[in-house]
Amino acid sequence: MLQVNPTVTRSQPMSLVHRTVLDNGIVVLAIENPAADIIAGRIFLSAGSCWEPREKAGLSHLLSAVMTKGTEQLSSMEIAERVESVGASLGADASTDYFQVSLKTVSADFGEMLQLAGQLLRSPTFPETEVELERRLTLQDIRSQQEQPSAIAFDQLRQAMYAQHPYALSTLGTEATVSQLSRADLQQFHQTYFRPDNMVISLAGRITAADAVDLVEQVFGDWQPPTAPLPVLNLPSVISQPHPKVAPQETQQSMVMLGYLGSAVQEPDYAALKLLNTYLGNGLSSRLFVELREKRGLAYEVSAFYPTRLHTSQFVVYMGTAPENTAIAIEGLRSEVERLCNTELSIDELQASKNKLLGQYALGKQTNAQLAQAFGWYEILGLGIEFDTRFQESVNHVTSEAAQQTACRHFLKPYLSLVGPEKALNTAASVF
Amino acid sequence: MSQTLISSKFPADILKLENGLTVIHQQIPATPVVVVDVWVKAGAIAEPEEWCGMAHFLEHMIFKGTERLAPGVFDAVIENRGGVTNAATSHDYAHFFITTAVQYLEDTLPVLAELLLNAAIPDDEFLRERDVVLEEIRSCHDNPDFVGFQALTQSIYQHHPYGRPILGTEAQLMERSPEQMRCFHRAHYQPENITVVIVGGVAKETALELVNRSFQEFSPPTACPLSEADAEPPLTEIRRQELYLPRLEQARLLMGWIGPGVDQLRDAYGLDLLSILLAGGRSSRLVREFREEKGVVQDISSGFSLQRDSSLFTISACLEAQHLERVEALIRDRLYQLQTTPISEVELQRCQRLLCNDYAFSTEAPSQLAGLYGYYHTIAKAEVAVTYPEKIQEFQLSDIQQLAQQYLSPQYYAVTVLHPSWW
Repeated sequence: MLQVNPTVTRSQPMSLVHRTVLDNGIVVLAIENPAADIIAGRIFLSAGSCWEPREKAGLSHLLSAVMTKGTEQLSSMEIAERVESVGASLGADASTDYFQVSLKTVSADFGEMLQLAGQLLRSPTFPETEVELERRLTLQDIRSQQEQPSAIAFDQLRQAMYAQHPYALSTLGTEATVSQLSRADLQQFHQTYFRPDNMVISLAGRITAADAVDLVEQVFGDWQPPTAPLPVLNLPSVISQPHPKVAPQETQQSMVMLGYLGSAVQEPDYAALKLLNTYLGNGLSSRLFVELREKRGLAYEVSAFYPTRLHTSQFVVYMGTAPENTAIAIEGLRSEVERLCNTELSIDELQASKNKLLGQYALGKQTNAQLAQAFGWYEILGLGIEFDTRFQESVNHVTSEAAQQTACRHFLKPYLSLVGPEKALNTAASVF
Repeated sequence: MSQTLISSKFPADILKLENGLTVIHQQIPATPVVVVDVWVKAGAIAEPEEWCGMAHFLEHMIFKGTERLAPGVFDAVIENRGGVTNAATSHDYAHFFITTAVQYLEDTLPVLAELLLNAAIPDDEFLRERDVVLEEIRSCHDNPDFVGFQALTQSIYQHHPYGRPILGTEAQLMERSPEQMRCFHRAHYQPENITVVIVGGVAKETALELVNRSFQEFSPPTACPLSEADAEPPLTEIRRQELYLPRLEQARLLMGWIGPGVDQLRDAYGLDLLSILLAGGRSSRLVREFREEKGVVQDISSGFSLQRDSSLFTISACLEAQHLERVEALIRDRLYQLQTTPISEVELQRCQRLLCNDYAFSTEAPSQLAGLYGYYHTIAKAEVAVTYPEKIQEFQLSDIQQLAQQYLSPQYYAVTVLHPSWW
């Protein structure tokens, strides 16, 4: 008889995350962690792919690629040499819900690198030759996605589920949209969204909270926000219209993905869906792993994901399997998800899933980079650093009944995305 | 009970139990987490040639229980307490790890030990799990970078088992039996081949007592076909492979050289330095020239992979097919330059600093430390791991030239090219 212990998970004590707001609107988070001689920084802006017009998809990503390649004072190579000569890392990335700059140094070099990050953020020049280069390389990157069956399957699924909503597309954009992007587009996006009242700076490591705030004040304190208000984001609603999509490819495996629209992070069903995702797909003791891999040998990779998103999210279960098992895989995944609408989790199953979710949540906040990332992210999503505690509480409060009701609201009919040899997809067509 | 073999500069304790098992422990007081990472000298090189894939398949089967423990119980014990567990197999090792909250070490470590020592390898589980491994092989073969790298290693190591696929092949796996696997398990999962590493918020006495109690009942070793590791003779030509892959969008250029094993650790670290010099970061030689200035590659990287007997140095590029010949020729030329012209002091210092900081960034979390100590102890000695930064700092300009001359010949190397094939 398996004995399951109730777990009280250690959350990051709130006293260790210091929050300050500068006069110009920048939210500064400081987490003191003197254990290692490292400081990690994350600078977030509400300027991810969601803020791009559809016809300019890929803009935020291109900006992230070119931003580090020239400022009013420094060329691309000078910037690279500055960073690499101190053995630091400094880079920019675009996500759907935010734009971020990441840096990591030994503590002595952090001030200098934050200064440099400040210059990149405040006065990038987007040299024309660099725009050309990065655009060309992005187009190659987009084409390279076609090499991975899981990327093809996910791209197909995402487009089916989101239609005209920005979440439909990869942050890279499409070949059509990226080839049209210009330096002027980058400048305009930068001017509109890169402002101190749209920014969170999160530092963690061998630095005191007071020093962290001082440093940020030195680098960013005199940055004045423009008088014009931030543009309001108007996104199309996402309407549920489940249907299958297939992409024949001469691959060794079929990739099968089932998708259901899921709650955004601030919506009431979020915690229950996170718990169901853990129950189904997290780890070697998860339902999908046990039923479809361990007991039936159908897959090496079988799992589920439900990303935390500002807007409507996706609850996805997937599996890579031998082509002749495509139909069985679809049936298997589908029945496991829909079972949750008819069956309540037992007390043990519920508690085990809670322990797993919350235990692993705690494990994901160990390094300075993880700490800086987690709390900065909560702030940029508008959740606040207290979300760390609220999340754990709301997970603990989910009942079996509530989980089943949540399943009934979301797991009605799946979107289906299939990639595999044509013959296998045709044979499986009867199942959908 | 145990004998301490400790070096005063090494931050962890290394102890040997009476039965020959090695324990490495480091307490990190501030953390609520503890990692147990068990490293076994039962990697792919321990396999006789016909049993290719056995070490990795066994790693899967370890999780399928013992006479006392049904399959899945271990997974539930770890994960229901909020922990994670996983394993991996390479040429030189197989390792199994759990990460858990300190208060659950007592519940979890003994269960891992039970699996490792008493693996039952039930017949029906063997058949089912073989299907899983076949799916793993299929999945890897849908990834062109995996296919390319496998082809390169096969080409470089024509005598040494480092050239064999760790996953094995379908044909060979279908010939294997549970009894053969039990034999392999009993032959290799013995205390003298095992290092148990424990890093985290747990004290030495607690850790030692637990390991000593749990890692006792080893099955008597059985005779098993042995592996023969023939040394790999040096390359005396350009060994070329051209592969045409369907669904490939961008060509791949993979170049490889044989490097020193752990018995020449200083040279190995020097090659690490060379890999950063060549392609570590935007201001490195090849990234600067090929990606940034000429725009002839989408991506270019260099790696040095430390292995026990002989290491692998690679330069890899993802690029449009039209640039393949030119890029390969230019790389040869740049290597020749490296052999004949000293690099600058600024460049050397940049590389040294990058590697030393990288080392610091890679030894932050308990799991990283545990992995580092376990890996080093399996192929050499754990104490050596922490000497990395000081050894990197010792390199001089002349060393770089000498290393390039000795190991990175522009005339003798292996090259695997992946071409898109459009039908």
